[in-house]
Order: sequence, then structure tokens, then C-alpha cells
Amino acid sequence: MKTVLTIIKKEFARFFKDTRLWITALILPGLLIFALYNIMGSIIESEVEKGADETCTAYIVNMPDSQSAAYSAIFDIKDDYTNQTAEDALKDGKLDLIIVFPTDAGKIQIKYNSAETKSQTAYALAVAMVANYDIVDLADEQSVARTILSTVVPMVLLMLLFSGCMAVAPESIAGEKERGTIATLLVTPVKRSHIAVGKIAALSAIALLSGLSSALGMLLSLPKLAGSVGGGISFAMYGFGDYAAVLGVILSTVLILVAVISIVSAYAKSVKEASGLVVPIMILVMLCGVFSMFAGTVASIGLYFIPVFNSALVISNVLSGAVNTAGIAITVCMNVAFAAVLVFVLTQMFKSERIMFNK
Amino acid sequence: MEAILQVKNLNKTFKLSRKQRKLEGGAAYKRAVDDLSFTAYKGEIFGLLGPNGAGKTTTLRMLATLIKPDSGDAVIDGASIVADPYGVRSKIGFLTSELKLEDFFTPNYLYDFFSKLYNVPEETATARKNKMFSKFGIDKFAEVKVANLSTGMKQKLSLVISLVNDPDFIIFDEPTNGLDVLTAKTVTDYLVEMRGEGKTIILSTHIFSLIEKLCDRVGVIIDGRLVALDTLANLTAEKNLEDKFFDLYKSVKGEMQ
Ligand SMILES: Nc1ncnc2c1ncn2[C@@H]1O[C@H](COP(=O)(O)OP(=O)(O)O)[C@@H](O)[C@H]1O
Ligand SMILES: [Mg+2]
Repeated sequence: MKTVLTIIKKEFARFFKDTRLWITALILPGLLIFALYNIMGSIIESEVEKGADETCTAYIVNMPDSQSAAYSAIFDIKDDYTNQTAEDALKDGKLDLIIVFPTDAGKIQIKYNSAETKSQTAYALAVAMVANYDIVDLADEQSVARTILSTVVPMVLLMLLFSGCMAVAPESIAGEKERGTIATLLVTPVKRSHIAVGKIAALSAIALLSGLSSALGMLLSLPKLAGSVGGGISFAMYGFGDYAAVLGVILSTVLILVAVISIVSAYAKSVKEASGLVVPIMILVMLCGVFSMFAGTVASIGLYFIPVFNSALVISNVLSGAVNTAGIAITVCMNVAFAAVLVFVLTQMFKSERIMFNK
Repeated sequence: MEAILQVKNLNKTFKLSRKQRKLEGGAAYKRAVDDLSFTAYKGEIFGLLGPNGAGKTTTLRMLATLIKPDSGDAVIDGASIVADPYGVRSKIGFLTSELKLEDFFTPNYLYDFFSKLYNVPEETATARKNKMFSKFGIDKFAEVKVANLSTGMKQKLSLVISLVNDPDFIIFDEPTNGLDVLTAKTVTDYLVEMRGEGKTIILSTHIFSLIEKLCDRVGVIIDGRLVALDTLANLTAEKNLEDKFFDLYKSVKGEMQ
């Protein structure tokens, strides 16, 4: 136990003494995401502003007097066009809609520009008016926000965690092997299992910090991003239990990711080789995020037995407001058990001269 | 004389990678150590002499428990390298230029780190560190990162750190390889000093003069096999070590052709 602590402390010291390393692993991810999301937010905001602020404009020909009041309530009716200039304005996006009422018993003609979001809205409104429907959007803002978050966040989170692990694990294991410093450790009477546990514990903690930095960047830029899609995203949407579940799942996931990358790094001869070998695993992890979008809340309980994929599922569930307690329990247990198996594998690798000395 | 190391029928064969096979003329396996047996006694410097590729490093790595023998065993101060590798590791010091120290740490940090891994009590470790650092002139650089130390200083630090547990049995692969003359002298002087303290040293080298200068007994190893084992005095009774070695080499290689 004491040696495990000694190894953990050394890994921490190594990490924090290397300014370049902790800047790239801790500061940069958060900063980059914050900047990226703010820019994204600004772009969406300006797009949305273009559309949503004013009511749609329409040029209406032959409007029956009986309809006039109803249409004026919905559209900003423009009179200063001719049939020809109105079509040009529609094409240019200056006008959103043209409605031509028939003089006899013919059909109503609606002209719109499908390239313009606002014109599409105007078109839908007009169709409803003509058919005499009432359109009521029942989606409340929170559930829209939840749907967005529950599909996007698991994937993004897995990627962030993965890159956090990539920032530290190959360097600490393949790097030590490459530089010949792991052999120095292996001639000491320290148990190989202690080296494996110490390294994975320390690297997981650092990877978690790196993930936290990304998450912080994401959270801090959320108001900007949320504002751009019309609000509705707020931390108050979720309770303490939700956050605890997500945290537990993230923790167990990081253990697995660090252990897997450590195993690949122990197998590789150099950091460069490790980074290459890790690519298929990264794709697999991203696929977990992608598939969790589709599996959604209808996932059968069996899916919670698949490590990492189950993490994406749980996070997706929690964010969409459908907490599955059994799923969370299975996920955390499965992930921790799987991580333990991986630690055992890493220990065996440290014991293998063929792997540790394959120059 | 009390035996401290008993090597019994050690064997080690490496499976060669495709690239290595070409260099070895197509063979899939390389027998690096072939039925090696010898004994080293307390308080002596024992030398393994042999050309490059003879199997010296492989032998010493097995003794240091970095790699496992295919068959055979060696017992160091009562601990078997096969049955009790952890016991062996805590009793020995293994020095080789292949064991590197991490660039990012200072000598001070690394000494303390390894002392803890060897479970040396803190006060003992501190006293030992002060003594060794001042002996090898590391004290002035104790807080300088390894990356910024001169090559000679790094090598001295490696030596000091592989002795944090003050072992009675020291394994040293090619002690003077890559050392500048001054560092080499410091190192060889220290080996003699340790022998004076009753410690046992087993070293490997291909340099005749080093054997002549340091060793009490010598094992000559060619192609993984021990072809001679005697005191330095007996081996060099008729002719000098170099001539004796080439006689042995000719007789072994001739018999094979
Ligand atoms: N890990 C290994 N894989 C394959 N062959 C090896 C390995 N280590 C050593 N050898 C081979 O074993 C033989 C003995 O090597 P070594 O013990 O390093 O010799 P020495 O130290 O006497 O120069 C050499 O032919 C070397 O190529
Ligand atoms: Mg050698």
C-alpha cells in the first residue's frame, strides 16, 4: 500500500513538474472548448436572431376582406410590391411569403423560398391558415434542451475523457519504456501489481482533472450556447442524484479508458506507436457515444453490461430525465469489475520480459 | 570461503523476431546462455569475461530477475531467482547503462523515491544519501533536474541510486562502458572500496585490463557457455589474460568448425 502511494505521488510530481504537460492536459482542453462553444453560440445566435425576431413578412394578392384581420395578426403584410418585385424580394430573402388568392373558385397559391428558414416558417403558418388548422407547439423548452443534451453530451463527453487519458497514459507507460526508466522500476522489489495500480490510479485522477477542465469549459460556455437556442438549458434542470450518477459513471469510465490505453502503451515500443495503436479503440469509444444516441431510453437492460457503451447510455438517460437506477448500478459495477480485470492484465504485462524488453 | 551466489545450469533461449532472424542466419531461436554454472564467494569481485554477444548481459539480467531463465536456477544469499525474485531484488543492486533515470526529477527526489520503493527507513536513507551525494559530488547538483546534468554526473547518480538499499551483492554490467576516464576511475575505485567493506560484486566486461585490475576470480564465457573458471592468478600464470583468452577462443571455435 505504501509503495502504491509512493508511485502515485511520483506520477503526480512528474505531471505537475512538467509545465508543458499540464498546460496541454489541463488548461488547453477547457480553454479550447470554451472558445469553440462560444464561437458556435455566437454563430447560432446571429442566425437565430435573423429569423426569430420579427414576424414573417408576406405579400398577399386579392386578399378577401373576411380574412384580412386573421392574416394581419400572423404576418407583417407588405403592400409596396408588385407581383414581379415581390418574387424577386422572395428570392433575395427580403420577403418571406407570397400568397395569391384566386379571383374565382381556383386554388390558393403560396410561394415561398425553401432556402430561407424564415420563409419555411411563413409557409407552414400559411398552410395552417389556409387549411384552418391551429398549430400548437407542445414542446416545452426544457424537454427540447434535454433531448439535445442527451444526444450530444455522451458522445462529446466520451471523446473529452478519452483525449484526457491520451494526454497522460502513453507518456507515462510507453514513454517510460521507450526511455528505459521502467526497467529501473522493475529491478526494485516493488510488486508489479502495485506499479500497475499506482500508475492507473494516478493517471485516472489526472485524466479526470483533464476531463473536468473540458467539462468546465463546456459548462461555462453553456449560457452562451443555451442563449442561442432560446434558453431552456440550466443546471437546475437536474437534481443532485443526477449529478452523482453522472460523476460515478464518469469515474468508472475513466478507469477503463486509462487501463485500456495503458495496456496498449505497455505493448507499444514507443509513445508514437502507442498513439497509433490506440486509434481503433478511440473509434470504438466514439461509436459507443454514437449508438447511445439511437439506443436512447428504450435500451434493454442487457446493454448496460457493455462497458463504456453503458456509460454513454446512463449519461444519455440522466440528461433526458429518464433515470434508470438498475442501469446505473450495473454500469458502475461492470465498469469497475472490467477495470480490475484490465489492471490484472497490465500487471501480467509488467511481469512479461517479452513485453517489457521488446526493443 | 563462503558462497554467496550459486548459479546452477542456467539456460536462456530467445525467440528471434523476423528482423533478428536475418542477422542470425535464419535460425528462429538463439541460445544466449547455455547450461551456465558457477559460484561466487563473499567479499570477492567476480568477473564474467566474454566478447560481444557471449551472453553476459543475459546472464546478469537473469541474476537481477529482470528476465526468467528457461531452466536452471541461481541462489543469491539464500534467495532463488526463480522462486523468490522479490527477495532477490531487495538484496541486490543492479547497475547497467540500460537503466535510465527520469529526466524530469532531481537527484534528491529520485534518491528518496527509490529509497521508499526499497523500504529503507527514512533516517537511514537520509544519512546514506548525504554520504553518497558528497562522496560522488552530487550534493552540488542535488536540486538540478537529471535532464540538465552532465553525462558523467548522470552515471554517478545512477550508481548511487542503484545502491540505495546498501546491498551486499552488486551486479554490474559493463561497469566502465561509455564512461569518461575520470568517472570510470571513480567507479572502479568505488568497486574496490565496496569489496573492502565485505561486499560481493559480479561484473561483466569485454575489457581485459578491467578484469586484471579488479577481479579476484574470472569466468570466461563464449557463445553462452562457460569455457574457463578460475582465479585471476591461475588464469594468468603462464601468459597474460588477453593471450589466454584467445587460446580459449580458438579452441572453442575450432572445435565447432
Ligand atoms: N531480447 C532478446 N531477443 C533476442 N535475442 C537476444 C535478446 N537479448 C539478447 N539476445 C541475443 O543473445 C545473445 C547474447 O546477448 P547478450 O547477453 O546481450 O551478450 P553480451 O552482453 O555478452 O554482449 C546475443 O546474440 C543477442 O543478440
Ligand atoms: Mg552486454
